[in-house]
Amino acid sequence: MKPALSVILFSVLSGAGLGALALMALADLAWRAGVVEAPWSPALTSAAAIALVLVIAGLCASTLHLANPRNAWRSLARWRSSWLSREALAALAFIPVAGAYVALHASGSPSWTQALAGATVLLAWAMLYCTAMIYASLKPVRQWHTARVPVAFFLLGHASGALLIACAIATERTATNGWMVAAVLLFVLALIAKIEYWRFVGASGITLETAIGVPHGVAPPRREHARPRSVAARLLDVGHSKGTFLTDEFVNTQSHSTLRAMRAAALIAGFGIPLLWLASSFGIPLPGLGDGRPDWRVGAMVWLACMLGLTAERWLFFAEARHTVRLYHGDRTT
Amino acid sequence: MTAANPNMKLGLVIDLDTCVGCHACATACKEWNGASAISGPLADYDPYGAEPSGVWFNRVRHYEVGAHPDSKTINFPMSCLHCEEAACVSVCPTGASYKRSDGIVLVDQDKCMGCNLCAWACPYGARELDQCSGTMKKCTLCVDRIYDERLPEDERQPACVLACPTHARHFGDFADPDSNVSTMVRERGGFSLLSELGYVPVNQYLPPRDVPAVAISTSPTAPSGEDASASALSRLIARARAVLAR
Amino acid sequence: MPIPAEDRPLPQSPATTRRVEYSTCYMCACRCGIQVTLEDDELRFIQGTRDHPVNQGVLCAKGSAGIMKQRSPAKLRKPLRRKPGALRGRNEFDEIEWDEALAIVEARLRAIRTTDPRKLAFFTGRDQMQALTGLWAQQFGTPNWAAHGGFCSVNMAAAGLYSIGFSFWEFGAPDWDRAKYFVLWGVAEDHSSNPIKIGLDKLKRNRAKFVSINPIRTGYSAIADEWLPIRPGTDGLLALAIVHVLLRDGTIDYEFLARYTNAPWLVVDAPGTSEHGLFARDRDGRPLVFDDSLGSVTSDVGIATVPALFKTLTLDDGRHVATVMTHVAGRYVGDDYAPAAVAERCGIAADTIERLAREMAHVAFEEAIELPIAWTDVWGRHHDKVVGRPVAMYAMRGISAHSNGFQTCRALHLLQMLLGALDGPGNFRARAPYPKPIPPHQLPATACAPGKPLTRAPLGFPMSPDDLAIDEHGVPLRIDKAYSWESPIAAHGLMHMVIANAVAGDPYPIDMLLLFMANMAWNSAMNTGVTRDLLCAQNEDGSYKIPFVVVCDAFASETVAFADLVLPDTTYLERYDAISLLDRPISEPDAPADAIRHPIVPLDRDVRPWQDVLIELASRLEFPAFTRDDGRRKFVDYRDFIIRFERAPGIGFLGGWRGERGDEPLVGAPNPRQWEAYEKHHAFFAYHLPDQLKWHRYANREYLEFAQDVGFIGAAEPIVMQLWSEPLQKFRLAGQGVYAGRQPTDARDRERLATYFDPLPFWYPSLEGCETDCAKYPLMALTQRPMMMYHSWDAQNAWLRQIIADNALYVNVRTAHECGLADGDWAWVESTHGKLRCRIRTMEGVEPGTVWTWNAIGKQGGAWGLAADAPEATTGFLLNHLICEHLPKRGDDGRRITNSDPITGQAAWFDVRVRLTKCESGEYGTAPCAPPLADAAGVARPAVIRWPE
Repeated sequence: MKPALSVILFSVLSGAGLGALALMALADLAWRAGVVEAPWSPALTSAAAIALVLVIAGLCASTLHLANPRNAWRSLARWRSSWLSREALAALAFIPVAGAYVALHASGSPSWTQALAGATVLLAWAMLYCTAMIYASLKPVRQWHTARVPVAFFLLGHASGALLIACAIATERTATNGWMVAAVLLFVLALIAKIEYWRFVGASGITLETAIGVPHGVAPPRREHARPRSVAARLLDVGHSKGTFLTDEFVNTQSHSTLRAMRAAALIAGFGIPLLWLASSFGIPLPGLGDGRPDWRVGAMVWLACMLGLTAERWLFFAEARHTVRLYHGDRTT
Repeated sequence: MTAANPNMKLGLVIDLDTCVGCHACATACKEWNGASAISGPLADYDPYGAEPSGVWFNRVRHYEVGAHPDSKTINFPMSCLHCEEAACVSVCPTGASYKRSDGIVLVDQDKCMGCNLCAWACPYGARELDQCSGTMKKCTLCVDRIYDERLPEDERQPACVLACPTHARHFGDFADPDSNVSTMVRERGGFSLLSELGYVPVNQYLPPRDVPAVAISTSPTAPSGEDASASALSRLIARARAVLAR
Repeated sequence: MPIPAEDRPLPQSPATTRRVEYSTCYMCACRCGIQVTLEDDELRFIQGTRDHPVNQGVLCAKGSAGIMKQRSPAKLRKPLRRKPGALRGRNEFDEIEWDEALAIVEARLRAIRTTDPRKLAFFTGRDQMQALTGLWAQQFGTPNWAAHGGFCSVNMAAAGLYSIGFSFWEFGAPDWDRAKYFVLWGVAEDHSSNPIKIGLDKLKRNRAKFVSINPIRTGYSAIADEWLPIRPGTDGLLALAIVHVLLRDGTIDYEFLARYTNAPWLVVDAPGTSEHGLFARDRDGRPLVFDDSLGSVTSDVGIATVPALFKTLTLDDGRHVATVMTHVAGRYVGDDYAPAAVAERCGIAADTIERLAREMAHVAFEEAIELPIAWTDVWGRHHDKVVGRPVAMYAMRGISAHSNGFQTCRALHLLQMLLGALDGPGNFRARAPYPKPIPPHQLPATACAPGKPLTRAPLGFPMSPDDLAIDEHGVPLRIDKAYSWESPIAAHGLMHMVIANAVAGDPYPIDMLLLFMANMAWNSAMNTGVTRDLLCAQNEDGSYKIPFVVVCDAFASETVAFADLVLPDTTYLERYDAISLLDRPISEPDAPADAIRHPIVPLDRDVRPWQDVLIELASRLEFPAFTRDDGRRKFVDYRDFIIRFERAPGIGFLGGWRGERGDEPLVGAPNPRQWEAYEKHHAFFAYHLPDQLKWHRYANREYLEFAQDVGFIGAAEPIVMQLWSEPLQKFRLAGQGVYAGRQPTDARDRERLATYFDPLPFWYPSLEGCETDCAKYPLMALTQRPMMMYHSWDAQNAWLRQIIADNALYVNVRTAHECGLADGDWAWVESTHGKLRCRIRTMEGVEPGTVWTWNAIGKQGGAWGLAADAPEATTGFLLNHLICEHLPKRGDDGRRITNSDPITGQAAWFDVRVRLTKCESGEYGTAPCAPPLADAAGVARPAVIRWPE
């Protein structure tokens, strides 16, 4: 699939924002219920505001993907069947709800916050889920049509959101290790999910032979009563000398070296660097990253690096996806 | 056809036994639909330059199956299959993509926002983005031909079907078990593309027919070498005399 | 989840008027009928005419893309004159007015005509008006006229016309409706494109078996039931091996041979004399047969005659004679042509050949068709049914474009004659005005004189050395040396030799080269790079060796750049045209037919139809056929000419609606409203023959009388098919030095005549192959036409070039591997003559010793309205660079011989042998690559097209 920067930025930025807001609202509810000791703090309000801005920025970025944006307002129409429509609806609900939630915290008046917290969590998760399902519902893309995708979106969104919160918390020097632990857990789970996903991506799917109907008799002539043999198919000519919308959108392949480089970038920047910095919050001193106490300025850089790393991951999510239409362009398997 | 009939399943049969890969269908389609009000002009980019490309609803691809000297070359036209469970319709957020009661799947050009999701949902590559209009375009089954009463009845067919020189394309109603298309599919073992994905394509492909059996004439048992020529010659002479004497 | 159905109102077209016009397509030699829809007077849709005899409503990609042809920026807009001081070939022109252009041409032609008419060489390309251009050349008085057939496929036309009275090529068609077994030899997309496609579908539906003999498995061969990957140039071996099996098994049509062919004719056996190998004839020149019922020799063949197929005897006058059939059996029954003997050279297994032959025999004789149609043959025998041997065939360029193509095609006709599978139900049928006498009664012009028309047409069918167009020293009359010892039966001329011969002054220099729709500076040349240089070759004083080049075309081709004067033509939607029975007919076997074009789109630029320009020049130069006795011009324009010109009383260019009232088909007085009649009838005329005139027409009395009445043939006499070709034998005798008439003096000519002019078909290895190190150049290199491009003529089409804008060389997967090549690699392709660089693609469906590419896709940047960096120029390539118009060997006297079939002069461009070497890394891009042309004035290439806006 063509990695479209607008859509990639949308899911990375919004994912982080939604994950952060969901976690903060969950913690808020848990604190109100007396389950945890961590009260709301001004740092969290800042983090929540940043998270909301990330969500809105991501949504705006996504509209750049549209070739005819003046009809974008219609995208709420098919919520009955379309995950994209549902996501638009969820976004439409989420923004005012989360906005109100953040505003209430900012204004210091807590009266509606519990209900709004609950709504924020649910709507954030709804948005994450709808976004993931836009991809996961697509049967022609084997690499996307799996529960691994919503799981990864969740974990990555929450992990990058937790990292954002950890940075914010680090400004207050109140060292609540809870957030750091949560962030580490989420990153580790996300890493496991990602590695398993990359194994899944490399497997084989539908073949070119199936796609053109070889099992149905699209094969060399048989003498009558001869047994059907299994035969291999190959592309002879794709039917056009230069590119088309389909080749641009689905077929153009990146080189192996580019893909490897992107995987390395994703692992190092998206997972490695955050984990290292988070480790420093447990009193583990690491040269350049901290003296055992998390520094929010370093944290901010780490978070930016993480965003870049997750952008690479999301880029790979597209670039390594093999749509069935590629079979008709000569791929041996999806 | 005279009017949209509910519960029809209009579609095409594509015969891989006679398709010679001439691209007449693709070009006739491009020609008809470029000037059709349904889709508007089909853009062509850099038409006389280094990267000529454009919006086409129908493309013919070519494959080889098997190995030399027993290989087969397959010419493979592909256009929208007007699926019964068309995911391109269900994923469309704006409702631009819709399916009619006669089975035809269309894109409403006034509603499409060009998000590409329908193209992602289509396993067959039936939809293309027109960069000039910013909308997705695809085969309309020539809906503006099949119901046009200004056309003579036998021309109320998709342009590709009319053009195909080997009659490898047939148009009809699959909901009618006795229609031309239903009969062909039954008799020739027509199949759906990628049926395992569950979209229930309406268009069906017919696989190549088996080789017709031809008996061979009996050959007189003949030794090889000079004797053979001599005896063949004398047989020939005798037979000629016998036949012509009649 | 089921998708809910919605029926929304559909957008409506804003067009207020809709109009349908009919005309004829122009994109290839098929001449399909087209139905053109215009909305508000703009082109809206082009489809096939539903009731047209050729295409019956279908239309190929080329025809369907006609609108983009019409809108091409490559259209020429005004007459052009090379800028003073500018070099040829650079596209540097000034626009001039028609008056000036015509004045220039007229003055030059007048000067040539009054001094030496041969100095005009007028050659036409893929046009369809040879009856008019040939007439014009004859009236001008120059023998130097031909179309492109000698370059293209004359072997098919000539072999048929010298054997069966009609041909593959355009004078025959398979009986698609009734054939039970169909063999396609060496055919890619070709002359009969849509009819073949329609026909193959019929065969499949009728469960007829379709066998394709072709080195490449694409297109028609893709859908064949059985594909035989034959080695190029060996089809003759395969055909004659099948002949061997039929003869060995005795499964031949004895009656057909005895009645309808010259199998029973007596051939003189007198080696060393001038009679050897000629037919024994009576005093009136009629051939002799041995009548078994009389027990004696006779020339009087009637119903009661039982001609012996096998007989050897001595005539009363002492001459030893034997029947043709005796010779036939003697040659092919032996081991030389047994399947096992040919299998290795053909690349087809012996038991496959055996099976093929026996399948054909079975279908021909055990599955014969009978139609309950009564007919009478020309000898008076009444038949109550028509018997058909339903084995049909079609053959084209894969047979033709080899130096053994004529004899190979004759071998196919021999096979058809043995099977009795000619012009009968289920086999290969003639198309009017054929069948004609063998060969047609038309000899080529052998002399010319200033100011006078030729007494005969420039092209014709020699019957003996005495019909050659040479002087007493053997020097050819024609610039292309057609009808000389080098190419005696050159029925379509040798377009590919004109430029080289003119520049070499061999046999003489010319003054003006006039080209119409002939891309001879590019793909219509065998030796492109050298040909382009030759067009610019200069004398010591700086003048060009070909002093004046005039090019007429509708589009800016590569050749237009080399003109001194460009006369711009219209497109096919802007002109009148007559697709005439006098020319290359569109008849169906059941119906003689012809067609027209008429203007559908108004002219928006200063161009003129070429036919009108020809008529204008003919009138100004006062050609007799175009001038009244009082000196005034006879015809106003082309439209007028077509209506009123009569080749013979009542016979004109168009056969429909003749007679003053327009009610006389095929023959009748001119009808002043004839064009209107055609326009009313979908632009075509078809005369449906009654059933009893449709079959065995070479011997069908009623048909032959009808054909005589309407001017197809001169006399209603039987057309006896020629297994043994006496004209060929006469040439052979001349080569052997015993002919009673003209003989060649050059030893090379003698050897060629003695070797190749065998009166019976035989196979020989290619001439180029014999002079090439085949170990060093092991691969055969072919081209074939794609179905959506016709020679160079579709790159200017914005839709078609999206399908194919460049080409690669296809190589068998295993062969590529052995050469160290992978799919997509760049490689050097080398012949003895030249070297080129191109991209390789691998495929399974190609014979391992063959490589191939699509024909004429490569273009010069800037030509055809394309950008300088168009893929056609940067990655597309022409195989032509590797092919030489001369054979490698030079004689001791320095003489070079044309690389063509020694009998017909057919360009042997499929004989080229090559080898492949992988390019070094960093070496890529088409080479050689002509520098791009500067844009002609007024060429505007839009960045985006949103037709119809």
